[in-house]
Amino acid sequence: MFRSRSWFGGGLWKPKNPHSLEHLKYLYNVLSKNQIVSESNRGLLVETLRSIAEILIWGDQNDSSVFDFFLEKNMLSFFLKIMKQKCGSYVCVQLLQTLNILFENIRNETSLYYLLSNNHVNSIIVHKFDFSDEEVMAYYISFLKTLSLKLNGHTIHFFYNEHTNDFPLYTEAIKFFNHSESMVRIAVRTLTLNVYRVEDRSMLRFIRDRTAAPYFSNLVWFIGNHVLELDACVRNDADHQSKNRLADLVAEHLDHLHYLNDILCLDIADLNHVLTDHLLNKLLVPLYVFSLDRQKVKLSASKNSSPYVSSVVSLFLLSQVFLILTHAPLVDTLAKIILHADRLIFSNSSTQDKIVLLQQGKTSVIQPGFLPPTESLEISLETSLDVSSRSISGDSADLASPCISEPRSRQSSIEESTNTTEQGSEGKAKNDSEDMNLNITDEEKHMLKVLACQSGAVPCPSTVSGDVQALSSEGPMLLSPEGPVPLAQPLSTQPFIESVYNALNCQENDYAALFALCLLYAFGKNKGVSGALLHGVLYPCQRPEGPCSPLSHRYNVPVVERLVSVITLSCQPNAKVRLVTLELTIRLLTQIVIHANSSFLQDCHLAAIEGAKEESSSVLRNFYKSEEIFLDMFEDEYHEMKKKPLNVEWLTMDSNVLLPPTGTPLTGIEFGKRLPCGEVERARRAIRVFLMIRDLSLVLGMEEERALPLTDTTACVQVDHVLNLNNSDLIGCTVVSKDGTRVHRFLVIDVIQLILVEPTRRLGYGVAKLVGFLQDIEVTGDKDDSRCLHITIHQPLSSGASKRVPLLAAKFIFDDHIRCMAAKQRLTKGRSKARQKKMVQIARLLDIPASQPSVPSSAYNLLTARRQESALRGGVRIAGGREQRQLYNIQKMPGHAAALRRESTPSPSNTSKSPDRTRVRESSRSREVSPKPLRPRSEEIPLEDIAKVKEQGALLKDTVSVPSSSSVLVPNSTSYSPSHMSYQTAAVSESVSTGSSTSSSSSPPEQSEETSFTRQASQGSKNSGQRRRGQVETV
Amino acid sequence: MSYAYLFKYIIIGDTGVGKSCLLLQFTDKRFQPVHDLTIGVEFGARMITIDGKQIKLQIWDTAGQEAFRSITRSYYRGAAGALLVYDITRRETFNHLTTWLEDARQHSNSNMVIMLIGNKSDLETRREVKKEEGEAFAHEHGLIFMETSAKTAANVEEAFINTAKEIYEKIQEGVFDINNEANGIKIGPQHSPTNASLPSSGQGAGQGGGCC
Repeated sequence: MFRSRSWFGGGLWKPKNPHSLEHLKYLYNVLSKNQIVSESNRGLLVETLRSIAEILIWGDQNDSSVFDFFLEKNMLSFFLKIMKQKCGSYVCVQLLQTLNILFENIRNETSLYYLLSNNHVNSIIVHKFDFSDEEVMAYYISFLKTLSLKLNGHTIHFFYNEHTNDFPLYTEAIKFFNHSESMVRIAVRTLTLNVYRVEDRSMLRFIRDRTAAPYFSNLVWFIGNHVLELDACVRNDADHQSKNRLADLVAEHLDHLHYLNDILCLDIADLNHVLTDHLLNKLLVPLYVFSLDRQKVKLSASKNSSPYVSSVVSLFLLSQVFLILTHAPLVDTLAKIILHADRLIFSNSSTQDKIVLLQQGKTSVIQPGFLPPTESLEISLETSLDVSSRSISGDSADLASPCISEPRSRQSSIEESTNTTEQGSEGKAKNDSEDMNLNITDEEKHMLKVLACQSGAVPCPSTVSGDVQALSSEGPMLLSPEGPVPLAQPLSTQPFIESVYNALNCQENDYAALFALCLLYAFGKNKGVSGALLHGVLYPCQRPEGPCSPLSHRYNVPVVERLVSVITLSCQPNAKVRLVTLELTIRLLTQIVIHANSSFLQDCHLAAIEGAKEESSSVLRNFYKSEEIFLDMFEDEYHEMKKKPLNVEWLTMDSNVLLPPTGTPLTGIEFGKRLPCGEVERARRAIRVFLMIRDLSLVLGMEEERALPLTDTTACVQVDHVLNLNNSDLIGCTVVSKDGTRVHRFLVIDVIQLILVEPTRRLGYGVAKLVGFLQDIEVTGDKDDSRCLHITIHQPLSSGASKRVPLLAAKFIFDDHIRCMAAKQRLTKGRSKARQKKMVQIARLLDIPASQPSVPSSAYNLLTARRQESALRGGVRIAGGREQRQLYNIQKMPGHAAALRRESTPSPSNTSKSPDRTRVRESSRSREVSPKPLRPRSEEIPLEDIAKVKEQGALLKDTVSVPSSSSVLVPNSTSYSPSHMSYQTAAVSESVSTGSSTSSSSSPPEQSEETSFTRQASQGSKNSGQRRRGQVETV
Repeated sequence: MSYAYLFKYIIIGDTGVGKSCLLLQFTDKRFQPVHDLTIGVEFGARMITIDGKQIKLQIWDTAGQEAFRSITRSYYRGAAGALLVYDITRRETFNHLTTWLEDARQHSNSNMVIMLIGNKSDLETRREVKKEEGEAFAHEHGLIFMETSAKTAANVEEAFINTAKEIYEKIQEGVFDINNEANGIKIGPQHSPTNASLPSSGQGAGQGGGCC
């Protein structure tokens, strides 16, 4: 009945609705009529398979009867039947994709269980597809991966058969662990991780007992061969020719480590034990650690033929290991071996075996040594699995051949019955590249095997047991948890750490030193390495009493001595130490000697650091110039240093550093990771070295940074700040930006900043709409319009903007030519003064003797002391104050000010010529060296007061021009509003910097501070230079 | 089935943005989505033609593997192109783009072509992310941008093909080292005898179906 219905209802004619039970019935009919794949029906079959997938998913989501029908008719068995014929990749691929879609999209759990329940899926998994076809391979492995994503505590039982000890999904997949196609390898790794994280005890036991040892030993061998390849690449590429290749190999090694770490992080104790064992004994110790000390190996046992890598590569790789892997039993043991193992480890490789043994309380069955696995993964798996249980895979005999070289042709199915010989040749041709790879690997394997056997680097089992006996007394020493123990031992008994320390020698270059630093740093950062191991080595010893109580034993003196010498070396001109090395050295040094905010550094070492600081500043002094670029470079380097602190993880991902250090920027290597090239880069380097060592010196001295950055951003006006402009000079202008928009603004020129303000409703106040640093401006006049200026404000370096788009590039139109000129002069002057001020700051940092008296070298303390002192003298205050005020008024005249600028730099010798001149000079200088930018806040000055001041000022001989200058700048009759503001501008002294002095006129006590100095200054020539300098600072 | 080049793509983006549906739509466009049927797949391959050359695209979905750092890392590294997908009806998927992009840039090779895709453009009424926003993001980060609908197949072809064109151009410019397979680019088996003996019927059907 049912059959006939399906035959007539949906069998003959294709139903119109593709999503219906009828349609599936029709498809079933097609399948059952086309059970033999032939040339003619392949297209139809593919289409049918595709439709089945679609309909099943639709059914899963909409109509359960669809699925029932599929299961009832056992349609999966059709799939198998088709597969077992040599159906060709075309059909195969669609079949696999249909299965993929099916398992990927099924939401209904019961449907999934039904699909899995009849073991068809496992039959499909073990089916030997034509894996030489990359397409089939890709679909196959994706199918397995999709299945692995469906694994959980329930579904695992469909794949892992506890009774027959059979887990084809896993065992078939891992056979491709070293497939030549990276995506396939990744899929295998994904699958393994998905399997491991299913919490099923018996399955995990199976994984451990039957597969772990073969899989991990093969994996480790695979990684080791990559490492040898990497080493060969470094060796043969001193000229940076195959950078891409090297970058890939480095990234590949990182991938391996991350994969191992992902496994270890799943925290499956049994599995981790096996993996740790293999990693330590088969890879990390024999290949990585032994390579640290090649010479010793040769000397000790003339075992010079076991595979090894250069010590630079070994240090680099070990750094990666310690930066990525955190599994404590692994990294702790490895660190212990590097730090404490003695030379006996060479003559007797059972030593570290014992460490593993004691560390984990379990017996290690693995003989250490970097050796190929005794048999291929497939053979191992075959033998470890119960062969009888594997009835499914009939043709297991050919499993012995390595999986990636299955000599099958993907053509085999297309013309199945004929021309088998042709197929063979085709297949061979197609697999040529793969075979080539394989051959190389095989050769290598063979060679290595031979070498290893000859060398006897790994003792045969018979000797080991005796060695363990003989060496058992060494155990406690090696495993001593005492931190200071290594300090008591002479270095020479610890060949590995000794060679790490020796690598820190930078006399010739810092090639190996950088990685030695990385490794030491990675030790310290690794959570898995026990603290007890590192105290006294990489951290200060925490126990003040005991054998290490004297200061000299509070930290690792040999290392510190070497670090200090790196620092000292890097300060010399033409040093071979790269910036990155210096930065890492400094970081490591602070880590070793600083604990709980106190430095244990011995005086002799501290003195060496201070000496280095001196040296570095003397080198930098040679580059100190008044040229504009020096300031820009200095600030640039400072911000670079603060913005991008060294990231060691990233450093060890960079394959570029693996090649010998170079000086040319043509390699594309970052500045910090190579040596400087040319004068400019040498200057940059000198700046950076100085800054870093200065930083270190501050840290060691527990001092706070006071002098840097050069710009105190907290004191700067920010956009949207509301400013009191009552006593500021304002120049009205129209700003026309590039896109033609026009805005009316008032230009305010602060000590270090240029501010464009918009008036607020409140009279005399304005909102900062745009703020730029004067040092970053460029001003040019307009040829055609005398009222115009073209102003470009560049981004400050500290903003971190990578693309240096100007903050503003616009045309400024002023009311008239005079005001335009005034603005130009003040901007130009402001710019050079802002820069000059910073150059003076730098000079002070470098202890450049102050040729200019204006150098505000003495700090604020002196200033305040003087203020207090002066506060005691009452009488002269007011008069002096007035005088001072007048001087500022003088300065408002643009032309005058410009002339004065030239005077402000020369020596003080001519200052005493005329008291008036002195005053003028000082006032002008006082602006330029004003210690901090003062904001014109809460400094409202009664208008009458100012008027009075002005009157008085007019009496002074030198100030005749005052009225005219102010009227030139901002005439009272100006048209712009608010008029109140313009009046203020006219009357009050020009710059914001004068704010404090202006305010002092309204508040007598403060005023006295200022005025008394001026009085002293005017009293004249007998005052000492120092005193005069003091006066200047105060304003 | 011979090809001049094989490009490997990955698809990244939050879950539920329609990555696997895009993939299936592209590799097997016969899946016409009706009845609100959402079907996706994790892997697909398809042949396209650029500049008269047969180019095979292999697309690997990275979904469900985010838990393992090693896996995402390796995927990024092995790909020549990446489709970074968000859902225009879910703002948060757009907000997460920066994180995805950072990841991609950190792990991938610097030449990898990244295309930003705003998916589900058929759901205009539920739109939460404006097209302009997507454009702006793409512009800012130097990506190609396109809005697609895996459901109506709008722009799906274009998205994959434009990415391929960009990669192809980079190859022509010599930016990609094509001999290095780690870049996600493979040169086809040029003179392999297997190609010649391929039965044309199967080939034709395969192309017609857009599969393989």
